[in-house]
Amino acid sequence: MNNLQQKLDFLLEKYSVEDRPVLKNDKEFSIGDKTYPVLSHRTERKFTELKNIVNNGTLEGVSVMRTSRIVEKNKDIYEELYREIDICRYVLQREMKSVMVYDNGNVLNAILSAEDDIVCTIEIAATLNEGDIPKEKHEVIAKRGTACDIVVDSQLRQDSIYIFGENNEKYTDVDFELYGLSYDEINIVRNVFFISRDNEYDNVLKNHTIVSNLVELAKKSAKSGEREVVR
Amino acid sequence: MKPLKIAMMSMTHGHTRKYYQTLMENPKLDWVAVSTANDEVKEIFLNSVKGIPCYEDELEMLDAHPEIEAVVLASENSEHLRQMKLCAERGIHILSMKIPTFDMEEYEEMIKVVEDNNLVCQIELEMHYNPVIARLKESVAEGKIGNIKSFNATNITLSPVWAFPWQGVPEKSYGKRVSIKDGDSRFRGGALCDHPHIFDMIRHITGSDFESVYAEVAPNIRPDIEEEDMLSVIGRMKDGTIFSLDPSWAKMEERLKVPGPGWEVFPKRMEVNITINGDKGTLMADCFGPNVYHNGCPNDRYTVQYTYFDEWIGLIDEFVDNIRNNKTPLINLKWHKRTIEAMNAVYESIATGKAVKF
Repeated sequence: MNNLQQKLDFLLEKYSVEDRPVLKNDKEFSIGDKTYPVLSHRTERKFTELKNIVNNGTLEGVSVMRTSRIVEKNKDIYEELYREIDICRYVLQREMKSVMVYDNGNVLNAILSAEDDIVCTIEIAATLNEGDIPKEKHEVIAKRGTACDIVVDSQLRQDSIYIFGENNEKYTDVDFELYGLSYDEINIVRNVFFISRDNEYDNVLKNHTIVSNLVELAKKSAKSGEREVVR
Repeated sequence: MKPLKIAMMSMTHGHTRKYYQTLMENPKLDWVAVSTANDEVKEIFLNSVKGIPCYEDELEMLDAHPEIEAVVLASENSEHLRQMKLCAERGIHILSMKIPTFDMEEYEEMIKVVEDNNLVCQIELEMHYNPVIARLKESVAEGKIGNIKSFNATNITLSPVWAFPWQGVPEKSYGKRVSIKDGDSRFRGGALCDHPHIFDMIRHITGSDFESVYAEVAPNIRPDIEEEDMLSVIGRMKDGTIFSLDPSWAKMEERLKVPGPGWEVFPKRMEVNITINGDKGTLMADCFGPNVYHNGCPNDRYTVQYTYFDEWIGLIDEFVDNIRNNKTPLINLKWHKRTIEAMNAVYESIATGKAVKF
Protein backbone atom coordinates (compact mmCIF):
# COMPACT_ATOMS: atom_id res chain seq x y z
CA MET A 1 0.00 0.00 0.00
CA ASN A 2 3.02 2.32 0.54
CA ASN A 3 3.80 2.34 -3.15
CA LEU A 4 0.20 3.21 -3.99
CA GLN A 5 0.15 5.96 -1.38
CA GLN A 6 3.33 7.44 -2.86
CA LYS A 7 1.80 7.47 -6.33
CA LEU A 8 -1.40 9.00 -4.94
CA ASP A 9 0.55 11.69 -3.11
CA PHE A 10 2.50 12.38 -6.29
CA LEU A 11 -0.75 13.04 -8.21
CA LEU A 12 -2.24 15.13 -5.41
CA GLU A 13 0.83 17.33 -5.27
CA LYS A 14 1.26 17.59 -9.02
CA TYR A 15 -2.33 18.76 -9.51
CA SER A 16 -2.41 20.90 -6.35
CA VAL A 17 -5.17 19.01 -4.58
CA GLU A 18 -5.47 20.23 -1.00
CA ASP A 19 -6.98 17.09 0.55
CA ARG A 20 -4.62 14.37 1.64
CA PRO A 21 -6.54 11.06 1.53
CA VAL A 22 -4.87 8.03 3.09
CA LEU A 23 -5.29 4.59 1.54
CA LYS A 24 -6.22 2.09 4.27
CA ASN A 25 -6.39 -0.90 1.90
CA ASP A 26 -7.57 -1.60 -1.64
CA LYS A 27 -11.21 -1.06 -0.62
CA GLU A 28 -11.09 1.99 1.69
CA PHE A 29 -9.42 5.35 2.18
CA SER A 30 -9.77 7.98 4.85
CA ILE A 31 -9.74 11.72 5.22
CA GLY A 32 -9.17 12.59 8.86
CA ASP A 33 -11.48 10.38 10.85
CA LYS A 34 -13.88 9.72 7.97
CA THR A 35 -13.61 6.50 5.94
CA TYR A 36 -14.82 6.14 2.37
CA PRO A 37 -15.08 3.17 0.01
CA VAL A 38 -12.81 2.92 -3.03
CA LEU A 39 -14.98 2.38 -6.11
CA SER A 40 -12.03 1.80 -8.41
CA HIS A 41 -14.15 0.39 -11.25
CA ARG A 42 -15.60 3.88 -11.68
CA THR A 43 -12.21 5.10 -12.86
CA GLU A 44 -11.43 2.19 -15.17
CA ARG A 45 -11.20 3.89 -18.53
CA LYS A 46 -13.06 1.12 -20.32
CA PHE A 47 -16.12 1.67 -18.14
CA THR A 48 -15.90 5.42 -18.58
CA GLU A 49 -15.86 4.93 -22.34
CA LEU A 50 -18.74 2.44 -22.19
CA LYS A 51 -20.67 4.99 -20.11
CA ASN A 52 -19.97 7.65 -22.72
CA ILE A 53 -20.99 5.39 -25.61
CA VAL A 54 -24.24 4.50 -23.86
CA ASN A 55 -25.12 8.04 -22.83
CA ASN A 56 -23.73 10.35 -25.54
CA GLY A 57 -26.00 9.09 -28.31
CA THR A 58 -23.62 6.57 -29.83
CA LEU A 59 -25.98 3.77 -28.80
CA GLU A 60 -29.72 4.31 -29.07
CA GLY A 61 -32.39 2.45 -27.14
CA VAL A 62 -30.50 0.28 -24.67
CA SER A 63 -32.14 -3.10 -24.06
CA VAL A 64 -29.70 -5.26 -22.11
CA MET A 65 -26.42 -5.08 -20.21
CA ARG A 66 -24.60 -8.37 -19.68
CA THR A 67 -21.59 -8.75 -17.41
CA SER A 68 -19.53 -11.74 -16.37
CA ARG A 69 -16.57 -11.83 -13.99
CA ILE A 70 -14.41 -14.76 -12.92
CA VAL A 71 -11.98 -14.13 -10.04
CA GLU A 72 -9.65 -15.96 -7.67
CA LYS A 73 -11.08 -18.71 -5.46
CA ASN A 74 -10.62 -16.78 -2.23
CA LYS A 75 -12.72 -13.81 -3.36
CA ASP A 76 -16.19 -13.06 -1.95
CA ILE A 77 -18.78 -13.45 -4.72
CA TYR A 78 -21.08 -10.85 -3.15
CA GLU A 79 -18.25 -8.29 -3.09
CA GLU A 80 -17.84 -9.02 -6.80
CA LEU A 81 -21.59 -8.60 -7.23
CA TYR A 82 -21.31 -5.18 -5.54
CA ARG A 83 -18.72 -4.20 -8.14
CA GLU A 84 -20.74 -5.47 -11.10
CA ILE A 85 -23.99 -3.88 -9.95
CA ASP A 86 -22.24 -0.54 -9.58
CA ILE A 87 -20.64 -0.92 -13.01
CA CYS A 88 -24.13 -1.44 -14.47
CA ARG A 89 -25.41 1.64 -12.62
CA TYR A 90 -22.42 3.67 -13.73
CA VAL A 91 -22.38 2.60 -17.38
CA LEU A 92 -26.14 2.84 -17.80
CA GLN A 93 -26.52 5.90 -15.52
CA ARG A 94 -29.68 4.29 -14.22
CA GLU A 95 -30.92 2.89 -10.93
CA MET A 96 -31.94 -0.73 -10.38
CA LYS A 97 -35.56 -1.60 -9.59
CA SER A 98 -35.33 -5.29 -8.70
CA VAL A 99 -32.89 -8.14 -8.25
CA MET A 100 -33.11 -11.93 -8.52
CA VAL A 101 -30.17 -14.14 -7.56
CA TYR A 102 -29.21 -17.80 -7.52
CA ASP A 103 -25.95 -18.70 -5.75
CA ASN A 104 -24.08 -21.96 -5.27
CA GLY A 105 -20.98 -21.74 -3.11
CA ASN A 106 -18.38 -19.91 -5.17
CA VAL A 107 -20.70 -18.93 -8.03
CA LEU A 108 -23.63 -16.57 -8.46
CA ASN A 109 -25.99 -15.50 -11.26
CA ALA A 110 -28.23 -12.46 -11.10
CA ILE A 111 -30.82 -10.60 -13.15
CA LEU A 112 -31.49 -6.98 -12.27
CA SER A 113 -34.13 -4.79 -13.81
CA ALA A 114 -33.16 -1.15 -14.30
CA GLU A 115 -35.09 1.99 -15.11
CA ASP A 116 -36.62 1.87 -18.63
CA ASP A 117 -36.98 -1.91 -18.10
CA ILE A 118 -33.38 -2.49 -19.17
CA VAL A 119 -32.38 -5.99 -18.08
CA CYS A 120 -28.93 -6.55 -16.54
CA THR A 121 -27.48 -10.04 -16.29
CA ILE A 122 -24.52 -10.64 -13.98
CA GLU A 123 -22.53 -13.89 -13.82
CA ILE A 124 -19.90 -14.28 -11.07
CA ALA A 125 -17.53 -17.14 -10.33
CA ALA A 126 -14.63 -17.40 -7.88
CA THR A 127 -12.75 -20.31 -9.42
CA LEU A 128 -9.34 -19.03 -10.51
CA ASN A 129 -6.03 -19.95 -8.93
CA GLU A 130 -4.31 -17.37 -6.77
CA GLY A 131 -2.60 -14.77 -8.92
CA ASP A 132 -4.75 -15.33 -12.01
CA ILE A 133 -6.01 -12.13 -13.58
CA PRO A 134 -9.83 -11.78 -13.51
CA LYS A 135 -11.63 -12.78 -16.71
CA GLU A 136 -14.48 -10.44 -17.44
CA LYS A 137 -16.80 -9.11 -20.09
CA HIS A 138 -19.21 -6.17 -20.11
CA GLU A 139 -21.59 -5.74 -23.00
CA VAL A 140 -24.44 -3.35 -23.71
CA ILE A 141 -26.92 -4.22 -26.45
CA ALA A 142 -29.21 -1.56 -27.88
CA LYS A 143 -31.66 -1.02 -30.70
CA ARG A 144 -28.89 0.80 -32.46
CA GLY A 145 -25.50 -0.61 -31.66
CA THR A 146 -23.68 -2.90 -29.27
CA ALA A 147 -20.76 -1.89 -27.03
CA CYS A 148 -18.39 -4.28 -25.32
CA ASP A 149 -15.05 -4.28 -23.50
CA ILE A 150 -13.66 -7.26 -25.39
CA VAL A 151 -13.27 -7.64 -29.11
CA VAL A 152 -15.87 -9.40 -31.26
CA ASP A 153 -15.43 -13.17 -31.61
CA SER A 154 -13.16 -13.56 -28.59
CA GLN A 155 -13.62 -14.83 -25.06
CA LEU A 156 -10.88 -12.94 -23.24
CA ARG A 157 -9.43 -9.44 -23.17
CA GLN A 158 -6.33 -8.82 -25.23
CA ASP A 159 -3.06 -7.76 -23.62
CA SER A 160 -0.87 -4.99 -25.01
CA ILE A 161 2.42 -6.90 -25.09
CA TYR A 162 3.18 -10.60 -25.41
CA ILE A 163 6.74 -11.87 -25.00
CA PHE A 164 7.37 -15.44 -26.11
CA GLY A 165 10.70 -16.66 -24.86
CA GLU A 166 12.13 -18.57 -21.96
CA ASN A 167 9.33 -17.23 -19.79
CA ASN A 168 6.15 -16.38 -21.63
CA GLU A 169 5.12 -12.93 -20.43
CA LYS A 170 2.38 -10.43 -21.13
CA TYR A 171 1.81 -6.84 -20.11
CA THR A 172 -1.02 -4.34 -20.20
CA ASP A 173 0.09 -0.83 -19.22
CA VAL A 174 -2.60 1.81 -19.29
CA ASP A 175 -1.30 4.87 -17.43
CA PHE A 176 1.97 6.68 -18.16
CA GLU A 177 1.87 8.82 -15.02
CA LEU A 178 1.41 5.73 -12.87
CA TYR A 179 3.65 3.46 -14.95
CA GLY A 180 4.80 0.47 -12.94
CA LEU A 181 1.56 -0.10 -11.05
CA SER A 182 -0.70 -2.96 -12.01
CA TYR A 183 -4.01 -2.40 -13.80
CA ASP A 184 -6.00 -2.75 -10.57
CA GLU A 185 -3.57 -0.59 -8.56
CA ILE A 186 -3.82 2.20 -11.12
CA ASN A 187 -7.60 2.22 -10.81
CA ILE A 188 -7.44 2.42 -7.02
CA VAL A 189 -5.05 5.36 -7.06
CA ARG A 190 -6.94 7.14 -9.83
CA ASN A 191 -10.26 6.65 -8.05
CA VAL A 192 -9.12 8.18 -4.78
CA PHE A 193 -7.35 10.98 -6.65
CA PHE A 194 -10.45 11.91 -8.68
CA ILE A 195 -12.72 11.78 -5.63
CA SER A 196 -10.40 14.14 -3.76
CA ARG A 197 -9.78 16.44 -6.70
CA ASP A 198 -13.49 16.74 -7.55
CA ASN A 199 -14.76 16.69 -3.94
CA GLU A 200 -16.98 13.68 -4.69
CA TYR A 201 -17.06 12.32 -1.13
CA ASP A 202 -20.82 12.63 -0.68
CA ASN A 203 -21.48 10.92 -4.00
CA VAL A 204 -19.20 8.04 -3.07
CA LEU A 205 -21.12 7.46 0.15
CA LYS A 206 -24.44 7.75 -1.67
CA ASN A 207 -23.43 5.18 -4.27
CA HIS A 208 -22.08 2.90 -1.58
CA THR A 209 -25.37 3.01 0.32
CA ILE A 210 -27.44 2.26 -2.78
CA VAL A 211 -25.26 -0.63 -3.95
CA SER A 212 -24.93 -2.09 -0.45
CA ASN A 213 -28.71 -2.12 -0.20
CA LEU A 214 -28.93 -3.92 -3.55
CA VAL A 215 -26.42 -6.52 -2.41
CA GLU A 216 -28.44 -7.14 0.74
CA LEU A 217 -31.54 -7.60 -1.42
CA ALA A 218 -29.54 -9.96 -3.61
CA LYS A 219 -28.61 -12.09 -0.60
CA LYS A 220 -32.24 -12.10 0.46
CA SER A 221 -33.31 -13.20 -3.02
CA ALA A 222 -30.76 -16.02 -3.05
CA LYS A 223 -32.24 -17.30 0.21
CA SER A 224 -35.91 -16.86 -0.67
CA GLY A 225 -35.73 -17.90 -4.32
CA GLU A 226 -37.85 -14.88 -5.21
CA ARG A 227 -37.24 -11.56 -6.93
CA GLU A 228 -36.65 -8.68 -4.52
CA VAL A 229 -37.94 -5.22 -5.42
CA VAL A 230 -36.19 -2.00 -4.37
CA ARG A 231 -38.54 0.02 -2.11
CA MET B 1 -25.62 -50.51 -45.95
CA LYS B 2 -28.49 -49.59 -48.27
CA PRO B 3 -28.73 -45.79 -48.68
CA LEU B 4 -31.67 -44.29 -46.81
CA LYS B 5 -34.29 -42.86 -49.14
CA ILE B 6 -34.99 -39.44 -47.69
CA ALA B 7 -37.19 -36.45 -48.54
CA MET B 8 -37.76 -32.97 -47.15
CA MET B 9 -41.04 -31.20 -46.46
CA SER B 10 -42.08 -27.53 -46.50
CA MET B 11 -38.56 -26.01 -46.82
CA THR B 12 -39.65 -23.01 -44.75
CA HIS B 13 -37.41 -23.61 -41.74
CA GLY B 14 -34.24 -21.59 -41.29
CA HIS B 15 -32.16 -24.74 -41.23
CA THR B 16 -33.44 -25.99 -44.58
CA ARG B 17 -30.35 -24.99 -46.53
CA LYS B 18 -28.09 -26.69 -43.96
CA TYR B 19 -29.29 -30.02 -45.35
CA TYR B 20 -28.59 -29.40 -49.01
CA GLN B 21 -24.92 -30.34 -48.97
CA THR B 22 -25.31 -33.25 -46.53
CA LEU B 23 -28.22 -34.78 -48.39
CA MET B 24 -26.36 -34.49 -51.68
CA GLU B 25 -22.99 -35.77 -50.46
CA ASN B 26 -23.67 -38.30 -47.70
CA PRO B 27 -23.27 -41.75 -49.29
CA LYS B 28 -25.65 -43.20 -46.73
CA LEU B 29 -28.50 -41.16 -48.25
CA ASP B 30 -30.51 -41.18 -51.41
CA TRP B 31 -32.29 -37.81 -51.63
CA VAL B 32 -35.55 -38.66 -53.35
CA ALA B 33 -37.66 -35.50 -53.39
CA VAL B 34 -38.81 -32.34 -51.66
CA SER B 35 -42.18 -30.68 -51.20
CA THR B 36 -42.37 -26.92 -50.82
CA ALA B 37 -44.90 -24.95 -48.81
CA ASN B 38 -45.08 -21.92 -51.09
CA ASP B 39 -43.77 -20.42 -54.32
CA GLU B 40 -41.12 -18.38 -52.56
CA VAL B 41 -39.32 -21.32 -50.95
CA LYS B 42 -39.81 -23.36 -54.13
CA GLU B 43 -37.93 -20.73 -56.11
CA ILE B 44 -35.16 -20.55 -53.50
CA PHE B 45 -34.82 -24.34 -53.56
CA LEU B 46 -34.76 -24.59 -57.34
CA ASN B 47 -32.10 -21.89 -57.46
CA SER B 48 -30.00 -23.76 -54.91
CA VAL B 49 -30.28 -27.46 -55.77
CA LYS B 50 -30.53 -29.17 -59.15
CA GLY B 51 -31.85 -32.60 -59.99
CA ILE B 52 -34.13 -33.28 -57.04
CA PRO B 53 -37.86 -33.57 -57.85
CA CYS B 54 -39.77 -30.73 -56.24
CA TYR B 55 -43.49 -30.97 -55.44
CA GLU B 56 -45.89 -28.24 -54.40
CA ASP B 57 -47.98 -30.68 -52.40
CA GLU B 58 -46.56 -33.01 -49.77
CA LEU B 59 -49.22 -35.67 -50.34
CA GLU B 60 -48.45 -35.67 -54.01
CA MET B 61 -44.79 -36.20 -53.17
CA LEU B 62 -45.50 -39.05 -50.78
CA ASP B 63 -47.87 -40.73 -53.24
CA ALA B 64 -45.39 -40.37 -56.08
CA HIS B 65 -42.54 -41.77 -54.00
CA PRO B 66 -43.69 -44.70 -51.85
CA GLU B 67 -40.01 -45.61 -51.52
CA ILE B 68 -39.41 -42.67 -49.12
CA GLU B 69 -38.17 -44.06 -45.78
CA ALA B 70 -37.54 -40.84 -43.89
CA VAL B 71 -38.49 -37.20 -44.05
CA VAL B 72 -36.87 -34.04 -42.73
CA LEU B 73 -39.71 -31.85 -41.50
CA ALA B 74 -38.20 -28.51 -42.46
CA SER B 75 -41.36 -26.65 -41.54
CA GLU B 76 -42.80 -24.08 -39.18
CA ASN B 77 -43.54 -25.38 -35.68
CA SER B 78 -47.30 -25.21 -36.20
CA GLU B 79 -47.09 -27.82 -38.98
CA HIS B 80 -45.13 -30.47 -37.13
CA LEU B 81 -47.91 -32.58 -35.61
CA ARG B 82 -49.89 -32.75 -38.84
CA GLN B 83 -46.82 -33.71 -40.84
CA MET B 84 -45.74 -36.27 -38.25
CA LYS B 85 -49.13 -37.96 -38.57
CA LEU B 86 -48.80 -37.89 -42.33
CA CYS B 87 -45.45 -39.64 -42.09
CA ALA B 88 -46.55 -42.06 -39.39
CA GLU B 89 -49.48 -43.30 -41.49
CA ARG B 90 -46.93 -44.40 -44.06
CA GLY B 91 -44.32 -45.75 -41.66
CA ILE B 92 -41.90 -42.97 -42.56
CA HIS B 93 -39.21 -42.06 -40.03
CA ILE B 94 -38.95 -38.43 -38.94
CA LEU B 95 -36.23 -35.87 -38.43
CA SER B 96 -38.02 -33.06 -36.60
CA MET B 97 -36.83 -29.48 -36.31
CA LYS B 98 -35.66 -28.35 -32.88
CA ILE B 99 -39.10 -27.39 -31.53
CA PRO B 100 -41.63 -30.19 -32.17
CA THR B 101 -44.34 -28.09 -30.46
CA PHE B 102 -44.83 -25.96 -27.35
CA ASP B 103 -48.29 -27.41 -26.74
CA MET B 104 -47.75 -30.26 -24.28
CA GLU B 105 -50.97 -32.04 -25.29
CA GLU B 106 -49.79 -32.00 -28.90
CA TYR B 107 -46.42 -33.17 -27.65
CA GLU B 108 -47.97 -36.23 -25.98
CA GLU B 109 -49.84 -36.96 -29.20
CA MET B 110 -46.55 -36.87 -31.10
CA ILE B 111 -44.98 -39.35 -28.70
CA LYS B 112 -47.98 -41.68 -29.10
CA VAL B 113 -47.98 -41.46 -32.88
CA VAL B 114 -44.28 -42.25 -33.05
CA GLU B 115 -44.48 -45.12 -30.55
CA ASP B 116 -47.63 -46.65 -32.05
CA ASN B 117 -45.97 -46.80 -35.43
CA ASN B 118 -42.54 -47.89 -34.17
CA LEU B 119 -40.81 -44.96 -35.85
CA VAL B 120 -37.53 -43.20 -35.29
CA CYS B 121 -38.21 -39.55 -34.49
CA GLN B 122 -34.99 -37.64 -33.97
CA ILE B 123 -34.98 -34.01 -32.90
CA GLU B 124 -32.56 -31.77 -34.73
CA LEU B 125 -30.26 -30.40 -32.01
CA GLU B 126 -27.12 -30.19 -34.04
CA MET B 127 -24.84 -28.84 -31.32
CA HIS B 128 -24.28 -32.43 -30.17
CA TYR B 129 -22.33 -33.00 -33.39
CA ASN B 130 -20.04 -30.00 -32.89
CA PRO B 131 -16.36 -30.78 -32.16
CA VAL B 132 -16.01 -28.06 -29.51
CA ILE B 133 -18.97 -29.54 -27.65
CA ALA B 134 -17.35 -32.98 -27.95
CA ARG B 135 -14.18 -31.63 -26.28
CA LEU B 136 -16.22 -29.79 -23.67
CA LYS B 137 -18.15 -32.95 -22.75
CA GLU B 138 -14.93 -34.94 -22.60
CA SER B 139 -13.16 -32.36 -20.43
CA VAL B 140 -16.02 -32.13 -17.96
CA ALA B 141 -16.35 -35.92 -17.82
CA GLU B 142 -12.62 -36.23 -17.11
CA GLY B 143 -13.06 -33.96 -14.09
CA LYS B 144 -10.80 -31.17 -15.34
CA ILE B 145 -12.89 -28.52 -13.59
CA GLY B 146 -14.23 -30.73 -10.82
CA ASN B 147 -17.89 -30.79 -9.87
CA ILE B 148 -20.02 -28.35 -11.82
CA LYS B 149 -21.20 -25.31 -9.84
CA SER B 150 -22.63 -23.15 -12.64
CA PHE B 151 -23.39 -23.42 -16.35
CA ASN B 152 -23.62 -20.13 -18.24
CA ALA B 153 -24.32 -20.03 -21.95
CA THR B 154 -25.30 -17.79 -24.81
CA ASN B 155 -27.19 -18.94 -27.88
CA ILE B 156 -27.52 -15.58 -29.55
CA THR B 157 -28.10 -14.89 -33.21
CA LEU B 158 -29.50 -12.38 -35.60
CA SER B 159 -33.25 -12.56 -36.10
CA PRO B 160 -34.39 -14.83 -38.90
CA VAL B 161 -37.88 -13.35 -39.18
CA TRP B 162 -37.19 -11.39 -42.37
CA ALA B 163 -35.99 -14.48 -44.24
CA PHE B 164 -38.28 -16.97 -42.53
CA PRO B 165 -41.43 -14.96 -41.83
CA TRP B 166 -43.28 -17.68 -39.91
CA GLN B 167 -40.84 -17.15 -37.04
CA GLY B 168 -42.34 -13.69 -36.60
CA VAL B 169 -45.90 -15.05 -36.41
CA PRO B 170 -46.81 -16.19 -32.88
CA GLU B 171 -49.35 -18.76 -34.10
CA LYS B 172 -46.77 -20.45 -36.33
CA SER B 173 -43.80 -20.22 -34.01
CA TYR B 174 -45.31 -20.67 -30.54
CA GLY B 175 -48.50 -22.36 -31.78
CA LYS B 176 -50.93 -19.74 -30.56
CA ARG B 177 -51.11 -16.04 -29.71
CA VAL B 178 -50.24 -15.55 -26.04
CA SER B 179 -49.34 -12.19 -24.55
CA ILE B 180 -45.80 -12.16 -23.15
CA LYS B 181 -47.02 -10.40 -19.98
CA ASP B 182 -49.75 -8.04 -18.81
CA GLY B 183 -49.45 -4.55 -20.25
CA ASP B 184 -46.95 -5.64 -22.93
CA SER B 185 -47.85 -5.58 -26.61
CA ARG B 186 -45.56 -8.48 -27.46
CA PHE B 187 -46.41 -12.18 -27.78
CA ARG B 188 -44.63 -15.46 -27.13
CA GLY B 189 -42.86 -17.01 -30.10
CA GLY B 190 -39.69 -15.00 -30.66
CA ALA B 191 -36.04 -15.56 -29.83
CA LEU B 192 -36.68 -18.17 -27.16
CA CYS B 193 -38.45 -20.42 -29.68
CA ASP B 194 -35.37 -20.28 -31.90
CA HIS B 195 -32.84 -21.34 -29.28
CA PRO B 196 -33.48 -24.57 -27.36
CA HIS B 197 -29.87 -25.79 -27.63
CA ILE B 198 -28.53 -24.43 -24.35
CA PHE B 199 -31.62 -25.60 -22.44
CA ASP B 200 -30.86 -29.08 -23.77
CA MET B 201 -27.10 -28.96 -23.36
CA ILE B 202 -27.15 -28.14 -19.65
CA ARG B 203 -29.21 -31.30 -19.05
CA HIS B 204 -26.66 -33.41 -20.93
CA ILE B 205 -23.62 -31.87 -19.29
CA THR B 206 -24.93 -31.94 -15.71
CA GLY B 207 -26.98 -35.15 -15.99
CA SER B 208 -29.56 -33.25 -13.98
CA ASP B 209 -32.85 -31.53 -14.65
CA PHE B 210 -34.45 -28.15 -14.04
CA GLU B 211 -35.54 -27.29 -10.51
CA SER B 212 -36.20 -23.55 -10.76
CA VAL B 213 -36.35 -21.11 -13.69
CA TYR B 214 -36.54 -17.30 -13.58
CA ALA B 215 -36.61 -15.05 -16.65
CA GLU B 216 -37.09 -11.46 -17.68
CA VAL B 217 -37.81 -9.97 -21.07
CA ALA B 218 -35.98 -6.79 -22.08
CA PRO B 219 -37.14 -4.07 -24.46
CA ASN B 220 -36.98 -5.29 -28.05
CA ILE B 221 -34.09 -4.12 -30.16
CA ARG B 222 -36.48 -4.63 -33.10
CA PRO B 223 -39.54 -2.71 -31.92
CA ASP B 224 -41.47 -3.58 -35.10
CA ILE B 225 -41.70 -7.32 -34.49
CA GLU B 226 -44.53 -8.58 -32.29
CA GLU B 227 -42.53 -11.22 -30.40
CA GLU B 228 -39.75 -11.00 -27.82
CA ASP B 229 -36.22 -10.66 -29.14
CA MET B 230 -34.18 -10.05 -25.94
CA LEU B 231 -34.52 -12.09 -22.77
CA SER B 232 -32.40 -13.44 -19.91
CA VAL B 233 -32.86 -16.66 -17.97
CA ILE B 234 -31.32 -17.82 -14.69
CA GLY B 235 -32.12 -20.72 -12.38
CA ARG B 236 -31.04 -23.88 -10.65
CA MET B 237 -30.83 -27.57 -11.59
CA LYS B 238 -31.87 -30.33 -9.21
CA ASP B 239 -28.20 -31.16 -8.52
CA GLY B 240 -27.60 -27.57 -7.30
CA THR B 241 -25.92 -26.29 -10.47
CA ILE B 242 -27.03 -22.73 -11.15
CA PHE B 243 -27.31 -21.41 -14.68
CA SER B 244 -27.55 -18.27 -16.77
CA LEU B 245 -28.86 -18.70 -20.31
CA ASP B 246 -29.20 -16.06 -23.00
CA PRO B 247 -31.33 -17.19 -25.95
CA SER B 248 -31.76 -13.73 -27.51
CA TRP B 249 -31.75 -12.43 -31.05
CA ALA B 250 -28.98 -10.09 -29.87
CA LYS B 251 -27.11 -9.65 -33.17
CA MET B 252 -28.61 -7.05 -35.48
CA GLU B 253 -29.15 -7.97 -39.12
CA GLU B 254 -29.99 -6.52 -42.51
CA ARG B 255 -33.53 -7.51 -43.40
CA LEU B 256 -32.65 -9.88 -46.24
CA LYS B 257 -35.28 -12.15 -47.79
CA VAL B 258 -32.65 -14.80 -48.49
CA PRO B 259 -29.72 -15.22 -46.06
CA GLY B 260 -26.39 -14.50 -47.66
CA PRO B 261 -23.41 -12.14 -47.70
CA GLY B 262 -24.23 -8.81 -46.08
CA TRP B 263 -26.73 -10.29 -43.63
CA GLU B 264 -24.75 -8.96 -40.65
CA VAL B 265 -25.07 -5.49 -39.16
CA PHE B 266 -23.27 -6.63 -36.02
CA PRO B 267 -20.10 -8.31 -37.32
CA LYS B 268 -20.94 -11.75 -35.93
CA ARG B 269 -24.24 -13.36 -36.87
CA MET B 270 -24.30 -16.12 -34.28
CA GLU B 271 -22.64 -17.20 -31.05
CA VAL B 272 -22.86 -20.23 -28.80
CA ASN B 273 -20.48 -19.66 -25.91
CA ILE B 274 -20.51 -21.82 -22.80
CA THR B 275 -18.73 -21.14 -19.50
CA ILE B 276 -18.82 -23.92 -16.95
CA ASN B 277 -17.53 -23.16 -13.46
CA GLY B 278 -16.52 -26.07 -11.27
CA ASP B 279 -15.02 -26.49 -7.84
CA LYS B 280 -11.59 -27.00 -9.46
CA GLY B 281 -11.69 -24.37 -12.18
CA THR B 282 -13.49 -22.88 -15.16
CA LEU B 283 -13.98 -24.00 -18.75
CA MET B 284 -14.81 -21.36 -21.38
CA ALA B 285 -15.88 -22.53 -24.83
CA ASP B 286 -16.69 -20.74 -28.08
CA CYS B 287 -18.41 -23.40 -30.16
CA PHE B 288 -17.75 -21.77 -33.53
CA GLY B 289 -14.25 -20.87 -34.57
CA PRO B 290 -11.50 -19.99 -35.10
CA ASN B 291 -12.92 -17.82 -37.85
CA VAL B 292 -11.71 -15.40 -40.50
CA TYR B 293 -12.66 -11.75 -40.92
CA HIS B 294 -13.20 -9.35 -43.79
CA ASN B 295 -14.67 -5.97 -44.60
CA GLY B 296 -15.46 -6.59 -48.23
CA CYS B 297 -18.63 -6.79 -50.32
CA PRO B 298 -21.46 -6.13 -50.20
CA ASN B 299 -21.45 -3.57 -47.35
CA ASP B 300 -17.74 -3.06 -46.53
CA ARG B 301 -18.53 -3.89 -42.91
CA TYR B 302 -16.11 -5.80 -40.70
CA THR B 303 -17.62 -9.29 -40.66
CA VAL B 304 -16.92 -12.62 -39.01
CA GLN B 305 -16.81 -15.35 -41.65
CA TYR B 306 -17.42 -18.72 -40.03
CA THR B 307 -15.18 -21.60 -40.96
CA TYR B 308 -17.17 -24.55 -39.68
CA PHE B 309 -20.80 -25.54 -39.99
CA ASP B 310 -20.54 -29.32 -40.34
CA GLU B 311 -22.86 -30.32 -37.50
CA TRP B 312 -25.42 -31.74 -39.92
CA ILE B 313 -22.98 -34.44 -41.08
CA GLY B 314 -22.87 -36.11 -37.66
CA LEU B 315 -26.55 -35.49 -37.11
CA ILE B 316 -27.53 -37.27 -40.34
CA ASP B 317 -25.06 -40.09 -39.68
CA GLU B 318 -26.76 -40.72 -36.35
CA PHE B 319 -30.21 -40.51 -37.94
CA VAL B 320 -29.34 -43.17 -40.53
CA ASP B 321 -27.75 -45.36 -37.87
CA ASN B 322 -30.84 -45.08 -35.67
CA ILE B 323 -33.12 -46.16 -38.51
CA ARG B 324 -30.96 -48.93 -39.94
CA ASN B 325 -30.04 -50.37 -36.54
CA ASN B 326 -33.29 -49.66 -34.72
CA LYS B 327 -31.69 -47.35 -32.13
CA THR B 328 -33.25 -44.61 -30.03
CA PRO B 329 -31.96 -41.15 -30.98
CA LEU B 330 -29.88 -39.26 -28.44
CA ILE B 331 -32.41 -36.44 -28.74
CA ASN B 332 -35.75 -38.22 -28.92
CA LEU B 333 -39.20 -36.86 -28.21
CA LYS B 334 -39.35 -38.16 -24.63
CA TRP B 335 -35.93 -36.76 -23.69
CA HIS B 336 -36.65 -33.43 -25.34
CA LYS B 337 -39.97 -32.97 -23.54
CA ARG B 338 -38.31 -31.65 -20.37
CA THR B 339 -36.36 -29.10 -22.42
CA ILE B 340 -39.59 -27.81 -23.96
CA GLU B 341 -41.21 -27.70 -20.52
CA ALA B 342 -38.31 -25.59 -19.25
CA MET B 343 -38.72 -23.20 -22.19
CA ASN B 344 -42.43 -22.93 -21.42
CA ALA B 345 -41.42 -22.18 -17.82
CA VAL B 346 -39.35 -19.26 -19.12
CA TYR B 347 -42.48 -17.76 -20.66
CA GLU B 348 -44.44 -18.43 -17.49
CA SER B 349 -41.79 -16.72 -15.37
CA ILE B 350 -41.79 -13.69 -17.67
CA ALA B 351 -45.57 -13.50 -17.40
CA THR B 352 -45.77 -13.87 -13.61
CA GLY B 353 -42.53 -12.16 -12.53
CA LYS B 354 -41.81 -15.17 -10.34
CA ALA B 355 -39.50 -18.16 -10.46
CA VAL B 356 -41.14 -21.34 -11.77
CA LYS B 357 -40.39 -24.35 -9.58
CA PHE B 358 -40.53 -27.87 -11.05
